[in-house]
Amino acid sequence: MSDLVIHVVDLVREYQMGAERIQALRGVSLEIRRNEYVAIMGPSGSGKSTMMNVLGCLDTPTSGEYWLAGQEVSRLSDDALARIRNREIGFVFQTFNLLPRATALQNVELPLVYGGVGGRDRRDRARRALERVGLGNRMDHRPNELSGGQRQRVAIARALVNEPAILLADEPTGNLDSTTSADVMRVFDRLQTQGQTIVLVTHEAEIAAHADRVVTLRDGRIASDLRQDRTRAA
Amino acid sequence: MHYREAIRLALDSIRTAKLRSFFTVLGIVVSVAFLVAVVAIIQGMNAYVRVNLTEAMVGTNSFQIRWMPIEMAMLSDQDVVRMNKRPLVSLDDAAAVRAALPDAKAVALQTGWPTPAVEVAHAGRSMPNVITFGITPEYQVVYDYGFVAGDALADPDVRERRYLAVIGHEVATQLFDDPARAVGKTIHVARLPVRVKGVIAPKGKTLGQSLDTFVLLPMTVFETLFGRRLTTTVSVKMHTAAEVPAAMARAEEAMRRAHQLRPREENDFAVDKADALIAFWTSLTGVLFAVVPAVVAIGILVGGIVIMNIMLMAVQERTREIGIRKSLGARRRDIRRQFLVESVALATLGGLLGVAFGAGFAQLIAVATPLPAKVTAWSVAVSLLLGAGTGIGFGVYPATRAARLDPITAMRAE
Repeated sequence: MSDLVIHVVDLVREYQMGAERIQALRGVSLEIRRNEYVAIMGPSGSGKSTMMNVLGCLDTPTSGEYWLAGQEVSRLSDDALARIRNREIGFVFQTFNLLPRATALQNVELPLVYGGVGGRDRRDRARRALERVGLGNRMDHRPNELSGGQRQRVAIARALVNEPAILLADEPTGNLDSTTSADVMRVFDRLQTQGQTIVLVTHEAEIAAHADRVVTLRDGRIASDLRQDRTRAA
Repeated sequence: MHYREAIRLALDSIRTAKLRSFFTVLGIVVSVAFLVAVVAIIQGMNAYVRVNLTEAMVGTNSFQIRWMPIEMAMLSDQDVVRMNKRPLVSLDDAAAVRAALPDAKAVALQTGWPTPAVEVAHAGRSMPNVITFGITPEYQVVYDYGFVAGDALADPDVRERRYLAVIGHEVATQLFDDPARAVGKTIHVARLPVRVKGVIAPKGKTLGQSLDTFVLLPMTVFETLFGRRLTTTVSVKMHTAAEVPAAMARAEEAMRRAHQLRPREENDFAVDKADALIAFWTSLTGVLFAVVPAVVAIGILVGGIVIMNIMLMAVQERTREIGIRKSLGARRRDIRRQFLVESVALATLGGLLGVAFGAGFAQLIAVATPLPAKVTAWSVAVSLLLGAGTGIGFGVYPATRAARLDPITAMRAE
């Protein structure tokens, strides 16, 4: 098996908006290898969000192929996609998307709940994931008892807990101030050095600068795909 | 997601909105409480009637002659107005029937419903709510009464209106400690002084009710005290059940002659067998048992619709949560199960609350009235099944809607 984690071929995604057909993606092809650190950039309306949804298996393409960790997932059913999201993808969202009534630990346990991991094993794995992001002492706090940076780290722990093939982050620092942003980016950088494949969707050049490779979308197509020397926060 | 997980989640979300959850299931609570209480009361009444009536009529060897037929409640108003002109059943009637039935084991006249419940007192001691009957001596044969002290009432006591009484065992022990000491003493029955002639051997208890708290007065004395009853009846007890039909015919003949009815005139009295009373009662409760499910069904339907609405609201409110869960790998069936378990848990809790309220109400009835209301296991089982069933029935649609939500749009919801 190759070390291709994501292999997208000629991806098209169309939406029906009233009488009009809108093409959000117009034939995107992309390969991402294991342990790559990729930023997907582009102005609003470039197809960035659609790309993120399709890559995250939240949405399916109108045509084209999407191979994720060796499996073609573009034609799968709802429930099969849920399985893939559960096992292969870890999401980090701009708005954190934590369950407000659940504690940090319970939030991190969620993917394991749906993955059928039970009991002590589940708690241990969730605890380890929280420790990995430096929140071992905040496990029983609810999201409203945590700072923005801490919440995002809980979300990262949740994304990691199932050891997904890719970590998919959508504007992960969009709701954070610059200090906590740097904090969160340090976590991503460290995860990448530990072997995690990371895809960042962002419109901030500063954030994209952390990646090894920047893919820029424009009008639903890849406008550029550049490798770069990453800048790493000290 | 396992059911254990889903149940924990459901209980969590019910706990965080206790008041709302309570109002959500109020319809179920009321319906189930109604079901449990009404069934308990009907069962209690059944037991009460069976004991009191079979006691009163003592089995299949007997029949009664009464002013109105037992199924009076089933008659048209017109008939009742016509029947109101009938002469009351009297001592003379009892004598006439007795004369026609020399082979009867007993022919007695007794007062019927409503039986006065009065205070009986002696020398500073008293007992409330003692039921009082006016009788002729053979009544004591109909009931197979034995005497622990003194004697039974006799014909001259009735004829000469002697102020005497025969009392139940518990009345005697309550007022005199030792039943033997009661004989010859004067007691006050509803303030009327009468002398105790005999004390009847204990009959024990049925359904928590003592069968030994009563006073028997000579019919003539009773009528002096309480007036003549419309429900005074002649009870006839034959030696075997086989003799009853022929005896009923002869009694009818005797009554017609006593009332001087012409051949074409209809009877101005009714001759009923003991089972007629039971049969009438059974048909009456049968009607109740037919109506109760209808009322409960309507209540459950309304309660179910409320649950469905609240669950739809909950799905609406938690759209974002559903989106998040789906993004983390929740399948349709996981989400559906989560919401279905929640509505079932809600409705079942409602059922449990309803059972508790209903049982409490039945208990209250049992304490406050002579009816021995008794909560039956089957009504509790039906209630809980009904609760859970409502949760499933009315939870499917909201849960399915939740399960079908698209994760992207759901996560965008606020």
